[in-house]
Amino acid sequence: MTESAAAGIHPQSAATSAPIAPTKLKVRDLHFYYDGFHALKGINMDIPEKKVTAIIGPSGCGKSTLLRIFNRIYAIYPKLEAKGEIVLDDENILDASYSMNRLRSKVGMVFQKPVPFPMTIFENVAYGIRHHEKLSRADMDIRVEQALRSAALWDEVKDKLKQSALGLSGGQQQRLCIARGIALKPEVLLLDEPTSALDPIATGRIEQLVEELKSQYTIVIVTHNMQQAARCSDLTAFMYLGELIEFDRTEQIFTKPSKKQTEDYITGRFG
Amino acid sequence: MQANVGAVASTLAQEARAHRDARHDRLFSWVLKGCALLVLACLLGAAGATLWGGRHAFGTFGWHFLVSDTWDPSSDTYGALVPVYGTIATSLIALLIAVPVSFGIALYLSEVAPPWLRTPVASAIELLAGIPSIIYGMWGLFIFAPFFADHIKPWLTNYLGNKPDDGKLSWVAQHVPFVGKLFGSDYPFGASVLTAGMVLAVMIIPFISSVMREVFQTVPSRLKESAYALGSSTWEVVWDIVLPYTRSAVIGGIFLGLGRALGETMAVTFVLGNAMTLSASILDPGASIASTIANQFSEAAGLQKSTLMALAFLLFVVTFIVLLIARWMLRQLAHKEGR
Repeated sequence: MTESAAAGIHPQSAATSAPIAPTKLKVRDLHFYYDGFHALKGINMDIPEKKVTAIIGPSGCGKSTLLRIFNRIYAIYPKLEAKGEIVLDDENILDASYSMNRLRSKVGMVFQKPVPFPMTIFENVAYGIRHHEKLSRADMDIRVEQALRSAALWDEVKDKLKQSALGLSGGQQQRLCIARGIALKPEVLLLDEPTSALDPIATGRIEQLVEELKSQYTIVIVTHNMQQAARCSDLTAFMYLGELIEFDRTEQIFTKPSKKQTEDYITGRFG
Repeated sequence: MQANVGAVASTLAQEARAHRDARHDRLFSWVLKGCALLVLACLLGAAGATLWGGRHAFGTFGWHFLVSDTWDPSSDTYGALVPVYGTIATSLIALLIAVPVSFGIALYLSEVAPPWLRTPVASAIELLAGIPSIIYGMWGLFIFAPFFADHIKPWLTNYLGNKPDDGKLSWVAQHVPFVGKLFGSDYPFGASVLTAGMVLAVMIIPFISSVMREVFQTVPSRLKESAYALGSSTWEVVWDIVLPYTRSAVIGGIFLGLGRALGETMAVTFVLGNAMTLSASILDPGASIASTIANQFSEAAGLQKSTLMALAFLLFVVTFIVLLIARWMLRQLAHKEGR
């Protein structure tokens, strides 16, 4: 937590160019504690709107922890604590008065392993919508179809919407989870290693989907796979031991990283 | 040459080994099959013995045995309706009380309670399940039934029943069908179908709630996280995710409790009142199959003894029907869900 903090990490400050896009999520001096363990040590970053931001780093560096603060999903467990600020549309989402329901309608999340609910395919998508909006049957049908189309799943499931979602393949289940997330029309979509449980073909489809979705959503993706970060992100953040080491345009990070640690990680010297 | 002999010897050893393994596996599977068949044999033996013992009663009364509410040892005429009704009524009342309470206990312990509280409370519940039923019976007879007669029963008869002390019918008794009959009673003591149902509820809560708690804990946390991430509240996560995920195990736990309630003897015998008359009121005393057998077995002979055997067979049948209903319900639910 020495040089990196002093640099005031956000991509605009990089010498390369003017700001990429307006900031959607502004993280300021964020600290996180697991039952006393200091897991995140003063993170500062500006995540731009409608871009894909990848977070990479070795296991245990805090990248998933950081992602799980953006929708405060950590709050369902006891003894976890976040300090600092995360500003979304001029409001601090870490403020206790910020409604959980509202936050989660604005910030959607897709998890590592596909987790369809034990319901039909249709209900999986409609389920989240019902928590936030009252829709007529016809409107709901339209909404579900839209979400499934955006997640590139509609053609595969349109004839079996009333069947259990548990019968889908792993890749289809994960796209269903993405459909479920975007059905709420969130502004930010968090992806926590969304392809780590999938085969290469399913992974390719998800990456293609991320590319398509970024025109509408601000996407933050945590990944173990550096090629994935290089392929599908606009910006890449490198984290190590609970600190944000470097955050810049993806091509910059992968071709001319400014920190030695970033270079070592990317060239495979550790991690 | 030497090498060849060695190779042949080792092949022979391998064959012997394979042969021995196959024999052991066969033996092992026979032993396991025997254990499983033993259970089946016990079940058939018990059902067959009671049916054989009750053949005299079934032969004498025929189908009339099932629908008759007479129980007259002086003229040797018996019907099974009173004890069968008492068994089912007490068990249903017990379930109506125990299921929601167990659900609350299990949810609190698995989803809401702070971690340091979970283990001690869970152990306490398991201890409750281990209390012998005679203790519940004594508690029911000496402590709960008098309390029930003094404080709960007067309120129920006056406000819900059709035979209030002051003769003035309440609005509920006048306007809601059946309620007046259900709660009307001029029997002055605490022993009744409702009392027995309540004592049974206390007895089966530990069973149902510990099964529910265990199965709730098997729900993967990522499934719950996904629901929370969509904006669900704790209640919605429980109702929409945890319950459907664990449904068959929860129903299994409920029927485990129901099975215990149907066959429970001592506690029920103490608080049911043992009246062989049919009454629509759950505040009147009654009899269950198990309590009738326990009360009359020592003095019964001839046809009465055969009747008690026939009752025992009916208890088998009732339990079996309950299990069938459980299976059928599970199949319907699975069908509805699209699997």
